Amino acid sequence: MSLVLYDYALDENCYKVRLLLSILGVPHETVAIDMFPGSEHRGPAFLALNPRGTLPALFADGLLLTGAEAILAYLAERFDESGTWLPADPAAFGAVLSWLHFAVDELSAAARARAHAMTDAPADEAAVVAAARAALRLMDDHMTKREFSGGRFFVGETPTIADLALFPAFALSRDYGIDHDEFPALRRWIRRVRAVSGFLTMPGIPDYH
Amino acid sequence: MSAGWYPLALADGIEPGTSAGTQLFGKELVVWRDAGGAAHVWEDRCPHRGMRLSFGFVRGDRIACLYHGWQFDGAGQCRAIPAHPHLDVPETIKVATYRVAERAGVIWAADAHTEAPEPAARDALTPIRSLYVDRPVAAVRAALAGAGFPGADGAPLPFAGDAGGLLAFGAPEPVLFAALQPFAAGRTALHILAVGAPAAEDRVALAGAAEVLRRALEGASALAEAAA
Repeated sequence: MSLVLYDYALDENCYKVRLLLSILGVPHETVAIDMFPGSEHRGPAFLALNPRGTLPALFADGLLLTGAEAILAYLAERFDESGTWLPADPAAFGAVLSWLHFAVDELSAAARARAHAMTDAPADEAAVVAAARAALRLMDDHMTKREFSGGRFFVGETPTIADLALFPAFALSRDYGIDHDEFPALRRWIRRVRAVSGFLTMPGIPDYH
Repeated sequence: MSAGWYPLALADGIEPGTSAGTQLFGKELVVWRDAGGAAHVWEDRCPHRGMRLSFGFVRGDRIACLYHGWQFDGAGQCRAIPAHPHLDVPETIKVATYRVAERAGVIWAADAHTEAPEPAARDALTPIRSLYVDRPVAAVRAALAGAGFPGADGAPLPFAGDAGGLLAFGAPEPVLFAALQPFAAGRTALHILAVGAPAAEDRVALAGAAEVLRRALEGASALAEAAA
């Protein structure tokens, strides 16, 4: 078996994949790509490997996988013996996929806002921050209602890849100027995600020493 | 901060050993609960480098700053500086604190020297949620007093008066209360509680009604601005 993750330490999408690899204890190699300031992911060497020029990229026994959410699903399907991270039950499976879609659709505003704040990537700052805040509100509304029946995670009784796909946008929200003050249910939820065995931090998500 | 007591959070929402940031009239505050369950409200600034203490972490009966680990006891007094483990920390290193009262399922705070009476106690309430709205507190109050609170089943719960800092809704008896927090200019937090012990599905419905209220309040403001 050979797994090679092309990774950039400060990228929240790469972080999602690092999280699941750590949680599932999957041995892998990591190749650091200088996304900023080097733009190595847009250079000829990396484009020869991944023509999309996107990170993360995972080579699994020679198969190229791109897109953090797709990689999470692949890793869960292949390595999660518990079957809980991507549940097979149709309702839970559908709900997890709905949140994965939310992560790459509405919530992508958070990644754009953060890239703009940290690396000056072009964006309409007010618009992406407002869109990110609207997405975080939807998440807080959801977790508020989940808590009434004891729900601790976005879907089902245990964490799924939906929680990992949604986690960085909120955990890193201060990077792009959104405080946690307005999102009490999400504040409680990220504490639960942080307590998952195998959890990793990244720059901007501190370890409570 | 003006005289009087202000609601800052639902008491249930601040778990022991955790902290949350909030604002009152635009001033940043930290609400934290020590391991023993006592709630504290302070200015949200570490006296060392100005870092928000709400970003930090609670250990036992102290809160520690995320930056350099300075630890403060329940009175706001700095008790330990990790970079100087043998230092007898001067009494002057202290965070400004507020008076705290937990009443009616809500954490309230007042200026340390307030003479205002503490909020009234009220039993048998169940927390629904805190709702953050981009509207000034006066506009939120006026809208609620006029139209009531959206009902879970579509029919609004009529406004039934202000009972000790809690707006009451429902007739003939109140079934819902909301405490209004003047968060910042143009922003209000509503801490919403139901009377009695509603089932989980009823709490979900009331939380959904709160989302309807937020859309109505903010939509009304957008329409008003577009018309202006």
